[in-house]
Amino acid sequence: MHDVISFEKVSFRYPDEENWTLNDFSFAVQKGSRVVVTGPSGCGKTTLLYLCNRLYPDNCDGILTGNIELFGKDSRTFIAGEINHRIATVFQDPDAQFCMQTVEEELAFTLENLQVKREEMENRIKEVLALTNLTDFRYSIIQQLSGGQKQQIATACALIMEPEILLLDEPIAHLDPYTAKRYIEWLDQLQQNRQMTIVAIEHRLDLWGDFFDRIIPLSESDEPSILPKRMTSIKPEISIQATKIETKTFLKPASFSLQRGEITILAGPNGSGKSTLLKALCHLIPRNGLIEPTFLGYVPQSPEFLFLTKTVQDEVAYGGGYGVDNMLQRLKLMDIAASHPFSISHGQKRRVAIAAMLCDGREVILMDEPTSGQDAAALSELYQLIDERAHDGTTFLIVTHDMEFAYCLADSIILMEDGSLTGKFPALAVWENEKLLLEHHLLPPKGLMQCEKSFA
Amino acid sequence: MRSLLHRMNPSVKFVLITVCMFTMAFFFDPVTPLLFWAGVLLMQILFSQTDWKKWLFFMIPFFIMAFGYFWTTLVFAKETVGPIIWSIRSVHVTELQLHHALSLSFRVLAFSSLSLLFALTTNPVTFILSLMQQLKLSPKIAYGILVGFQFLPVIKDEFIQIQQAQRLRGIVQKKNTLQRLLDTRLVLIPLLAGAVRKAERSAFAMEARGFTGERRGGFFHEILVDKVDAFLGVLFLFVLVLSCTNSFWLG
Repeated sequence: MHDVISFEKVSFRYPDEENWTLNDFSFAVQKGSRVVVTGPSGCGKTTLLYLCNRLYPDNCDGILTGNIELFGKDSRTFIAGEINHRIATVFQDPDAQFCMQTVEEELAFTLENLQVKREEMENRIKEVLALTNLTDFRYSIIQQLSGGQKQQIATACALIMEPEILLLDEPIAHLDPYTAKRYIEWLDQLQQNRQMTIVAIEHRLDLWGDFFDRIIPLSESDEPSILPKRMTSIKPEISIQATKIETKTFLKPASFSLQRGEITILAGPNGSGKSTLLKALCHLIPRNGLIEPTFLGYVPQSPEFLFLTKTVQDEVAYGGGYGVDNMLQRLKLMDIAASHPFSISHGQKRRVAIAAMLCDGREVILMDEPTSGQDAAALSELYQLIDERAHDGTTFLIVTHDMEFAYCLADSIILMEDGSLTGKFPALAVWENEKLLLEHHLLPPKGLMQCEKSFA
Repeated sequence: MRSLLHRMNPSVKFVLITVCMFTMAFFFDPVTPLLFWAGVLLMQILFSQTDWKKWLFFMIPFFIMAFGYFWTTLVFAKETVGPIIWSIRSVHVTELQLHHALSLSFRVLAFSSLSLLFALTTNPVTFILSLMQQLKLSPKIAYGILVGFQFLPVIKDEFIQIQQAQRLRGIVQKKNTLQRLLDTRLVLIPLLAGAVRKAERSAFAMEARGFTGERRGGFFHEILVDKVDAFLGVLFLFVLVLSCTNSFWLG
């Protein structure tokens, strides 16, 4: 078994940064193995991946020292595009990796890049679609497919190059747990058929099971601490009462109530109407039904969508609420009060958004997918933020696919499927009900399974 | 028959239309553009499946513009010598003035309906592919534009999402159109910030698929030049020549 990728004392930094993103890093990947590189965001995982497929250092003028050998040859000796034929990549964002309208055109685009003759294209497209079981999607319009299907198409586009190495950049970050699991099983089958090398970066390995032969932690920090199960902060009074909320076309009448300080997770398959329900509750889209109170806080997946002013302080004060300084202090935003809200980190942006909502006097906060694409450290920060606010009497309704996160945090769970509410359940009742989980494309959290193991 | 203009090779159509426009620019009488306009319409009626309601809607501004040209040329003409053929109150119109005015407005109509003929019968994706295959447009630019097309629906969704989120913060949609236009500035900043990130990700994805921007050996989806193009090409030129030589056969 020889090495297909080998890094020897590689250091890398971006031209406008002083710190080395990678420092004296060495590793090697053997042909046919399945390797995963883990670590929190910002530790250089993506940089490492981009060095493997030669997107870096050329595309960012980065400074590189040390030796990178690909297929036993110095990586700098490959001409532009050459290495991309042998090392294919699947990226994280299902929406930003396609150039053409249909699956067939997208596959053909890849073949044209390889200068494949026109007569051969038809066969190769047929072959790869058969290999990946995607023949039915040949003429589908990519933008209309689900996230899981898009990632499969992206993988097929990578495989049509007949690469020796497949690089995966957090391929399941945007998928619901059930879909992610299916994708991993599908990939497992493919690897056995094609015998290629797989190198992935991933910050959460929960769903991958024993897919990988070798795990390489990139940062020196210890295992990310498992989030503790929180103490509930439910108070007896009702904080929000929704009655027969519905939209004209999709959402069927939904009624539920939450208590003060309660943390509720809203879960269900991709496209089941979770985001629509949140928007209907805040009256961002036309809806029928009654809701009490009407003044709700809402934090979209990209918190920067909310920002209107030039400093964090103004942002929090925008709604005209009192006690801005107090709020900044409580949410640890004092240090960045004068910064531009677009220039701070993602976690801080969300903190600002929540501070602004609370300052407006919105005591119920609805959050849309705050966990997607977040690493362990960011999740733990989010966990703390929500936990503290809930103990202060804020009520949360959170959409997430991350069942580990939900397990640690949730008092209750609202399940949705196909635009209608299945119902509101106490969290524990959902984790133990396998039928209910499966119907809503969820997987039981590992926290629970460990708990059961220790009892057994 | 009714699909011929849609089936025509977009590059050929584009070149023909450009040639027609340049030629028409050298004729200053009213009859030539009028005849040419009629010819273009006739071709569009015979060989395309145009949605005429849509056509009329797009033509409204051009009709207004044509009338504006007509009226201002009549009223503010520089030379007002010659026999007066028409008087409305204090405005006296000479033959030469009317001549100029009609020429200008027919020209506007001819040019605009020619452009509409192109726009309404051409698929933008096919047009770009054809520019790359027939007119040797660089793949770097061509695929850049194609990826841009894929982004349009995503950008539209995000625009709505940002507007919704900002409304929650207390931004009220103003009644005044100008103020509303100024307010879109607030939506544009987060929108563009997101678009820049997306664009970079797409560029990386393309490069990772082996895209280098070099000319390609073969195309899967070939845009061909065939008999239809020859037929319509001849027809276009025939209409052009016929309208340009009207002084001979109309006397």
